[in-house]
Amino acid sequence: MTTYILRRILSSIPVLIGILFVTFALGRLIPGDPCRAILGEKATEVVCNEFIRRHGLDKPIPVQFSIYVGEIMRGDLGTSLKYGKPVTDLIVERLPTTLELSLAAMTFSVLIGIPLGVISAVKHNSLVDVGTMVLANIGVSMPVFWLGLMLAYVFALLLKGTPLQLPPSGRLSPGLSVPPFYEVWGWQLAAEGMGFKLLQFISRLNTINSVLTWRWDIFSDAVKHLILPAMAVGTIPLAIIARMTRSSMLDVLGQDYVRTARAKGLPRLEVILKHALRNALLPLVTIIGLSLGSFLGGAVLTETIFGLSGVGRVLYDAITSRDYGVVQSFTIVIAVFFVILNLLVDISYIYLDPRVRLE
Amino acid sequence: MNRKSLSNLVGLLVLLSLVLGACAPQPAATQVAQPTEAPAQPTQAPAQPTEAPAQPTTPPAAAFEPLSLSAPDCDYGGLVKSIEALDEYTVRFTMCEPDPAFLSKIAFSSFAIQPREWLEQNGGGGEGSPLLERPIGTGPYVVKEWKRGDELVFEAFADYWGDDKAKTPTLVFRWSSEAAQRLLELQSGSIDAMDNPGPDDFDTINADASLQLINRPALNIFYVGMTNTYPPFDNEMVRQAIAMAIDRQRIVDNFYPEGSEVATHFSPCAIPNGCVGEEWYEFDPVKAKEMLAEAGYPDGFETELAYRDVVRGYLPQPGVVAQDIQAQLKENLNITIRINVMESGSFLDASDSGLLQGLHLLGWGADYPDQTNFLDYHFGGGSSKQFGDKFADLVDALKKAAALAGDELRKPFYETANNLIKKHVPMIPVAHGGSATAYKATVEGAHSSPLGNENFSVMSVPGQNTFVWMQNAEPISLYCADETDGESLRGCEQVTESLYRYEIGGTAVEPNLAEVCEANEDLTVWTCTLRKGVMFHDGSMLDANDVVFSLIIQWDQASPFHKGNTGAFSYWSGLWGAFLNATE
Amino acid sequence: MEATSNSKQSKTPQLNPEGLRSAETVTLWKTAWRRLFRRKSAMFGLGILVFLLLVAIFAPVIAPYDPYQVLIGIEPVRMRQAPCIHLLGCPKDQPQHLMGIDGNVRDQFSRLIFGARLSLMVGLTTVSFAIVVGTIFGSLAGYLGGNVDNVIMRIMDVLLAFPTLLLAIAIVTILGPGLINALIAISIVSIPAYARVARASVLSVREMEFVEASRSLGGSTLYILFGRILPNALTPLIVQGTLGIATAILDAAALSFLGLGAQPPTPEWGTMLGAERNQVFTAPHLVFYPGLAIMITVLAFNLLGDGLRDALDPRLAARGAE
Repeated sequence: MTTYILRRILSSIPVLIGILFVTFALGRLIPGDPCRAILGEKATEVVCNEFIRRHGLDKPIPVQFSIYVGEIMRGDLGTSLKYGKPVTDLIVERLPTTLELSLAAMTFSVLIGIPLGVISAVKHNSLVDVGTMVLANIGVSMPVFWLGLMLAYVFALLLKGTPLQLPPSGRLSPGLSVPPFYEVWGWQLAAEGMGFKLLQFISRLNTINSVLTWRWDIFSDAVKHLILPAMAVGTIPLAIIARMTRSSMLDVLGQDYVRTARAKGLPRLEVILKHALRNALLPLVTIIGLSLGSFLGGAVLTETIFGLSGVGRVLYDAITSRDYGVVQSFTIVIAVFFVILNLLVDISYIYLDPRVRLE
Repeated sequence: MNRKSLSNLVGLLVLLSLVLGACAPQPAATQVAQPTEAPAQPTQAPAQPTEAPAQPTTPPAAAFEPLSLSAPDCDYGGLVKSIEALDEYTVRFTMCEPDPAFLSKIAFSSFAIQPREWLEQNGGGGEGSPLLERPIGTGPYVVKEWKRGDELVFEAFADYWGDDKAKTPTLVFRWSSEAAQRLLELQSGSIDAMDNPGPDDFDTINADASLQLINRPALNIFYVGMTNTYPPFDNEMVRQAIAMAIDRQRIVDNFYPEGSEVATHFSPCAIPNGCVGEEWYEFDPVKAKEMLAEAGYPDGFETELAYRDVVRGYLPQPGVVAQDIQAQLKENLNITIRINVMESGSFLDASDSGLLQGLHLLGWGADYPDQTNFLDYHFGGGSSKQFGDKFADLVDALKKAAALAGDELRKPFYETANNLIKKHVPMIPVAHGGSATAYKATVEGAHSSPLGNENFSVMSVPGQNTFVWMQNAEPISLYCADETDGESLRGCEQVTESLYRYEIGGTAVEPNLAEVCEANEDLTVWTCTLRKGVMFHDGSMLDANDVVFSLIIQWDQASPFHKGNTGAFSYWSGLWGAFLNATE
Repeated sequence: MEATSNSKQSKTPQLNPEGLRSAETVTLWKTAWRRLFRRKSAMFGLGILVFLLLVAIFAPVIAPYDPYQVLIGIEPVRMRQAPCIHLLGCPKDQPQHLMGIDGNVRDQFSRLIFGARLSLMVGLTTVSFAIVVGTIFGSLAGYLGGNVDNVIMRIMDVLLAFPTLLLAIAIVTILGPGLINALIAISIVSIPAYARVARASVLSVREMEFVEASRSLGGSTLYILFGRILPNALTPLIVQGTLGIATAILDAAALSFLGLGAQPPTPEWGTMLGAERNQVFTAPHLVFYPGLAIMITVLAFNLLGDGLRDALDPRLAARGAE
């Protein structure tokens, strides 16, 4: 087992190198002039030459690459050309939005997807089952951006004035101020270093920060703002999860041990939940783990529609404004996150499913 | 087996290369920090060089040591010769050439005044400097908190110098790139005002009694350009024929939002002397056809129409407009047009160098409200080859106008210039693209500014302590000496002030931090008398050195405080020509 | 991967070493078809697809207007006018526009009809390209093994490490916006999926007797790979491909929505939706219909793909029939 894990980790190293290379290449292959993209089209020749020189963009590409690799190795993610601040600061600012959205979307899809799948499997071929599967099929076929727009149209405009009205943009209502929990708790901190950045990062997760500071009004406001985007991002995974749960539940329900359990006269619900569901959940781990990654892709579109400036939106803006530092570092962070996620899913699979044998 | 050893090998190689990479150069970071070694100030300052912050909070009573910076001569390419503090409340600007637009330019928000000591303490910007996020100015609002990505919160400055302090205690900026989103927020009541409603939402807003729509006068121009060095555009009659063959009204009616207008002249009427002289040609396809025949093209000709697919206020729907012009010229003059969509950068380069052989679509938005920003930039002696060879009579008229102060004096020359533009047709002005802002009906003091610098300190909603404004995008930074986008500038304008300002909702300039700036006879020396008793947000008092310092760190590229956000200071070089001690 | 023993070799019987295999495969395909026919959802998907195909082919006949025709001065219509349907009470003296008028005063319904051509074309071309390239890489990796396998699959891993949409956005930005470039980008990002499937199938078939047989008969590597092994790996590729078309259409629409795909005035659904997304509250019909069209097309491919998978996989099929 350990050797397998070690080998698996070792084999991700070339992939990580490839990622370093590809992100750098992507950044530099994007045509256009970073100077005018960032400083505006009225920037003069002189201003641009100075800009290019100051950011080392006039150096030969191999030199730029080695500088870049060197910085990454030292944990320095570089500086944003546009915002003039370290990319790590930008991540601390923007990742919480995306993370909160992804987690909310995941909660939404798991909490609804699994029960739906279980019910469909138990009531196989019933109206509920057929209905769920029809909806699931429609769910996976919907363009995220269209769903987002339609949700906003329905919940913000058509249902305006009803209790179901939901805000279509932003993370909090305007002017609601949330002091970071560490300030509320009266911690005296030096505003630097990784530890502080981590605290800052956590405090920018509005839901968590509001709970930590015991501000339930802010908590409910934050949750309200999360519902629509989370539904938009979560619908496709929800449909996939419902379908997967159903098919693996069907698989398990047909197996001998479940039949035996039922024959022994155990209560139906107990059999379903204790014996069947637990085993049926195994393949779901993979699906859920992997779809957490795909949330990031959907984030670009969803964040655009719901006016959230998370990682997806910033990355998209950075690509269009040739902000090399941000493009490279954000893609690296996302890609590394992906690789680690894959690794974890693979490893968890071994632990969770004894049937998986390693040669 | 095979696989394992290979991946091990690769891993090893990679590790090696990474180590090499890590050990190798690391110059980028250091370079950003310091532009160049401390300058040997070749352009010495007579009284005192820029550094000398011995007393961090200059006691007003202490002897005033005036600060100044001069260029050795005017060969460096810029307009400014020197900026000097004469005494505690007097600043003198000496220009290399007469500058009739001085007041319009000095009023621009990039040239706002901030406390000298504070600028020095914060290093003139750079990574993570408070300069970028929490500016100190003299304005009616102070930045309270900037939740990056979410919102920007201001609070009223209790010691504001003006008679009218901010009407609402808390001002909040939010943003969304989607017009639909902004309107929805306004309709649902979570914001009080929004920028740029979508063209189709104008009717919705007008129909809604709880909202008000305020058109923003257009300060831009969309035109069809021609390069007169390529046939058949070297023939003035061909250009005139095309000018008469385009139904500009149809374009504006169908593809521009409400508040847009058909251009009667190149520059909009809101610019002083913008629309004096004869109005543009009437749409007359019959006469156009005759003229084209007379010019030797009875059966039309083939050419190209180049544009970039970039949405701007002056051209909200480039593709459709290009196709409409294509269709119109085919129908009216039998000119066959190939449409050529170019990448923005290469398009601008090609048009600037006069390399576009056919027609091209481009426009211009005002930097500051003065004719020099429109006419001189495009048709003056220093203009690019965008329209081919320059017209000597036009260049001459513009030169004469630029040497005079006062709109009335300049007027006859701009009349001549506009008539010459109509005669020569270097391009065809089509439209001034309009936009608007929308407010709750209950907002008092609501206005739209043609320059996009709405002033929120005069706005309020009865019974509300917070005023929420939603614009298109988040400001990039709040050090506007080094920002160019309207979203950042609007944020700065609530906090910082310049010597002059544009009147609320208009373009005329009026004194602000200066009581007055007066020019000498030939407009080369401007002397400004500062207002007394103006307090900065940090409690220090405004004096002439603050003014000089705020400006010279932009001007002097060798100054250790010439950092800003990106370090570009585009508006300085754009409006005043060039930097001192430029590295290249 | 037990599901790979059936193949499509009935058309080229001379390639089969034993007549028995040939007969066996024919029955397998027959039963697969029968199973597919029994699945209502798959048939429904197929039905929609046939319908869409007919719409695409006969678009000029069905569409009442030229999709590029600007109706200014031709008809008394306003920009972004709501649908006018005579049957639903719209006054007869007004021109009928089933889905209203778009932002450039064109007939939305006609544009939607022509959009079917593009969407089907997008799905089919990207996936064909991705399948061809992916299969070549995947099967080479699987068949040759060793370092070739290692290098190819690591490259695929690198590609897979990026969220597909983000990678596609980056590629389109490099190539420049446009439909063709969007197609290329989507093809590139979907290659790894097919490479993996092809490799897995090849691995499972590689050691079978009939491959051994042709190898001992002196067949060249290329012949063995493309003549003998690949046909046996087709099934999973077909299934993956059908489902992949759905994803490709969604991705292309997303790129167009962001302004990176088909450029206006092309009547592409994603572009139409993206161009009017700011009008969702004032002219919802301009956002609703193109989105619905995308959804229906994607749904059809998904249903068919699922059906195919179940029908072609005996193990799943057995359970499905339960």
